[in-house]
Order: sequence, then C-alpha cells, then structure tokens
Amino acid sequence: MKDFIVPGEVVYDQPRRFDGSFVDREKTFASVLSVKYDDRVVALKGLYTPVVSDYVIGIIKHELFSGYKVDLNSPYIGMLSSRDLRERFEVGQVISVVIRMADEVKEAELVEPRRLWGGRVIEIPAVKIPRVIGRNNSMVSLLEQYTGCRIFVGKNGRVYVKGDNTSLAIESVMKIAREAHMHGLTDRIKSFLEDETKAGHLASEIGSPFQASPSPETK
Amino acid sequence: MEKEKKKLIVDGKRVNGRGFDDLRPLKVTAGVLKRADGSAMIEWGRNKVLAAVYGPREVFPKHLSDVKKAIINCRYSMAPFSGMEEHGRSGPNRRAIEIGKVAKHVFENAVLTHQFPKTQIDISMEVLQSDGGTRVAAITAASVALADAGIPMRDLVQGVSIGRVEGQLIVDLDKYEDNLGEADVPLIVSLRSKEVLLFQQDGRISREELQKMFELGFKGAELVRDVQVQALRQRYFETGDELNNHG
Repeated sequence: MKDFIVPGEVVYDQPRRFDGSFVDREKTFASVLSVKYDDRVVALKGLYTPVVSDYVIGIIKHELFSGYKVDLNSPYIGMLSSRDLRERFEVGQVISVVIRMADEVKEAELVEPRRLWGGRVIEIPAVKIPRVIGRNNSMVSLLEQYTGCRIFVGKNGRVYVKGDNTSLAIESVMKIAREAHMHGLTDRIKSFLEDETKAGHLASEIGSPFQASPSPETK
Repeated sequence: MEKEKKKLIVDGKRVNGRGFDDLRPLKVTAGVLKRADGSAMIEWGRNKVLAAVYGPREVFPKHLSDVKKAIINCRYSMAPFSGMEEHGRSGPNRRAIEIGKVAKHVFENAVLTHQFPKTQIDISMEVLQSDGGTRVAAITAASVALADAGIPMRDLVQGVSIGRVEGQLIVDLDKYEDNLGEADVPLIVSLRSKEVLLFQQDGRISREELQKMFELGFKGAELVRDVQVQALRQRYFETGDELNNHG
C-alpha cells in the first residue's frame, strides 16, 4: 500500500534519517511531498545538491580567468578549474562532469568535463532520476533499445538524448518522471514504447529547453 | 444624531448566515503557474490569492547571503482592483510591507533553511480579490506553493482568523465583521508541533478569550489543512501533470 505524505506528517515512529525527512522528538517526519510504500519513503519533489562522485550534466554559465562556472540545475553553481583543462569551452555549451568535491556550503568542484555534441537535453526533477535509470540500468537500456538513442542520465535531473528518435526518447523520459510514483512503471513504459515504435513515428514534436549544440542557422 | 448600529449577529447566527465557528467555502489549487517552481491559488470565500515560490536560488545582492541558511523573501501585495479601498498607488504600502515581514517570519520557522546555505527563497503572494483575512489566506496558499516547489519544511502551515463581535467569538471573519467587530486575531499555526507562528491582534481581548481563540484557531486550522492536503494530492495523483512545466 502506498500513502501520500505531506511535510510534517509522521512517517516512522522511530528516528530514521534519509532524504526528505527530519527527526523530532524520536520520530521521523517527512519534510517534502513523498509517497510511503510498505518498506520505504520516496520523495516526490526535491532539489539537487551536489554530491561527490556524481555524474552530472552542466551548462557553462560564465568564463573566468581561473575556469568556468557551470550551471548544475541546482541552487548551487559548480566550478570547473581551468588548471588541468585541455580544451576551452564557450558559454552555453553542454558538458558532462563529475563532482570531485562538495563542501559544507555546497560549492562543487568539477572534473572530467566532456563536451556533449548534438542531441538534446531535458530537465526533470532530480528525485526521479533513479526511476529513469532503473535497477541495474534496466530502464535506460529499455529506452535505448526501443528508440535507438544514446541516453546519458545526469544525477542532477538532466537527461541527454542523442540519436534518431529523440522525440520518443524524450516523451518516454517525461512519462517516467510524471508517473514514477505510480504502480507498474516498467510495464507501462514498455507498452508505450511498443505502441509508439509500431506506429512508426511520434505524432507530437516536443520542444526541449536546451539544444546541446546550436545548429548552424542559429549561430 | 447617532447612526443606527448594524447588528452582526442575528438570531444566534452571523449576518452572513454562518455559525460562529463555520469557515467560508475554501478551495486550494496547487501548481497554477507553470514558470514558478511552486505555486498555489486559494479561493477562500470572496478572497482570491495567488502564491508563487521561486528558489532556492543564488542570492542577489550577494552580500545578503547567509552561509548558514537560506534567506527568505516574502512579498505580499494587493492588486489595485482587489478591494473596495484604494490600493492603486505603485509599490507596496506600509501595510503590505508589514504583512510581507510577518509572513517571512512564519516561513523562517517552517522551512528547513539550514539545508540550503547561501541561497534565497522568494515567496510572492498576490491578492487578487479581498474580503477580510487575506494575510492568513495568503500564507496558507504560500505554504502549499512551498510544498509544491519541493522545499523541505517542518510542517505545512495554515491559519484562520478569529475575532469577537458583539461579545461572541467567531472564526474566519469577513471584511464586514473585521471592520465592525470588536477584536480580531489572525493566527497561523503548525499543527504538528502545536506552535503559533503568527499572532497579531486588533482590539482588546481578555486572557480567557485568548485561550478560547487559540482553541478555535487550531480547530479551524485542521479543516484548512485537509483542504491543502487535498489540493496537493490532486496535483500529484489525480491529474499527474506536474511536469507540464517542461512542455
């Protein structure tokens, strides 16, 4: 059974610590909108804060003498030092990076930047990312198999899609994020993908907020 | 010549037809603004308030940032067309600044600000139509908007106004009762911890009356909370369209 939980509701009568909860007087309360299943509590909403060794998708925000400020779809901006960089970036370019260090005020130091060429990037709530990845990457593999796209999922809630049928891949990712808290997700996504690929095309073209690399006309 | 005083209580009922502890019809809708991180609309009697939440985001200007916690900015504003009185001049007036400030204190005690150091959370409350009790309506709506934005909170806060007219304590005053009554108290509470987060007072009340007012306030807040929860549940389970932001 699952219950809808709002901030301030008791989720456990014992103190437990996990994301989206807080402990007060030996009880655990939800701090964000969540769903309680028999064995766990999953947050419906939540913001990304940098965690060490996360793979994330960033967008170059500013260029400084010392490096780049990178937007991480989070209240906090990442810093990519130019000290050991071989390539140069331009403002607006999309990169995948790893978080090397995050301090107590959540300032993140980034390493291993890789430019993402072509393709499209969409943003979904960071708390839904585990469902997009699936157990042992099962969901990503499913999506890749049906859409023929390369999919790279950043822990910060950005998903990069490149390939032939990006529209279908994006629609599927949005569907996962929208229905992550509802029952039987994998089956629903699988039948959705089957139906859509059988039809041969996707009726609606979905716009994405970011184009990973600008097309020549817009330059 | 003395003007004839209008009666506010007739035959054991308020002139608006409500019982002493009846609330006006209340409706909350979460997620009404697609570009905001969280939003809510409250329709409480003839009050209509829109609340929007942005953030946590980078603090601007930067010197205001706090390395230990997020700062909260609240803006309460009445639309020029919102009520009978004049709200037409530009910028917030003295009353709006005060309500913004008390709302800020409410949310500083409700939001887990220490989880987001060096950021700011902006809460905007816009009164589109007013009929008494707009500050509790605005804060109640903003609380739903914060939950919708996924900002961690200790509790979903809510409130109700309590007052006295003709010696009788009543709940959820409208503008008429507010202006002609003897006293009124807007109250915002946290039901989880039984804390009072906002208490303002206009008129004289006795110690015993105050005690009774708190009881009525907490009882009224429970009804308001049910509506808030229903609004959030509807957004996530019945329509499931929280991702329209990206469409």
